[in-house]
Amino acid sequence: MKYAIHTLNKAFDHRVRLGVMAVLLANELVSFNDLKESLDLTDGNLASHVAALEKAGYVLVSKQFVGKKPNTTYAATTEGKLAFQQHLAALEKLLRS
Amino acid sequence: MKPAAQDPLAQLTEIRAIMERSSRFLSLSGLSGVGAGVVALAGTAIGHYYLRQEYGEQGYQRLFQTSEAERLAALPFLLGLALAMMAAAVLVAAVFTLRRTRRDGLRSLWTAPARRLLVALLIPVAAGGLFCLKLYLSNAVELVVPGMLVFYGLALLNGSKYTLDEIRYLGLTQIALGLVALLVPGYGLLLFGAGFGLGHIGYGLLMYNRYERPARVAAGRANIAP
Repeated sequence: MKYAIHTLNKAFDHRVRLGVMAVLLANELVSFNDLKESLDLTDGNLASHVAALEKAGYVLVSKQFVGKKPNTTYAATTEGKLAFQQHLAALEKLLRS
Repeated sequence: MKPAAQDPLAQLTEIRAIMERSSRFLSLSGLSGVGAGVVALAGTAIGHYYLRQEYGEQGYQRLFQTSEAERLAALPFLLGLALAMMAAAVLVAAVFTLRRTRRDGLRSLWTAPARRLLVALLIPVAAGGLFCLKLYLSNAVELVVPGMLVFYGLALLNGSKYTLDEIRYLGLTQIALGLVALLVPGYGLLLFGAGFGLGHIGYGLLMYNRYERPARVAAGRANIAP
């Protein structure tokens, strides 16, 4: 089955991106710090991967201020949820083949 | 960071674990339940001896028919006892859970799922507390214990979305005991002890045996055989 591997989404071709999508699927709205904590990552590492997911249209980033502190929250877009579920299905298919 | 592992099974397992970990507070220690249960049993015993001393044998039942003045006189002690029990139980529970968090090597106890769990528990508990206070003041003392059990059970049921599945069954147990207490009001204090005391201890031991003891036994073996 060399074809099944092509159905895997390139946007999720990294552990961190998979992790971000997993957290965003399990939770509606997640702050930068909570996301960082659940995945045990550094700021820069997380930011660059989230930016890639945002560019793909899978993650919605909204920046607000709580008092003087910037507060960034992330949510998966409908498209992102769908793409991630398809990715999971493709992984499962790979397992069975 | 490595690129995504080639093994799809490993990937799926990790994704599942991340989803679980990010939405549920899983570090709740079973010993927290045991500790809270022991506090509840001690509190129940103190309440029993206080009421017996004030109103003689069957002191608890006597409270149902006593005059308003007497009920108000007993309120500061009973309310104080309830609040002290809650504070002590929360403290003991926090200590054991903090210990487990440390042992698991987690950095913080105050994670998003932990906050969500606390809010989910606190809202029904606070509403139930005020509701039961009003029941007591309105001369419906026999409904106070059933009310406490049912509201607490609903709180656990509500919070179980954000933590271990056993909490859901602990909640259902409390609700059932609360409804039984409604039918046999004379046994209220006994059922209070059964629910808050034995219920916590039972489910605490169950959780400890299921999640923590295997890990500790494994860790112990690793220490013996390097």
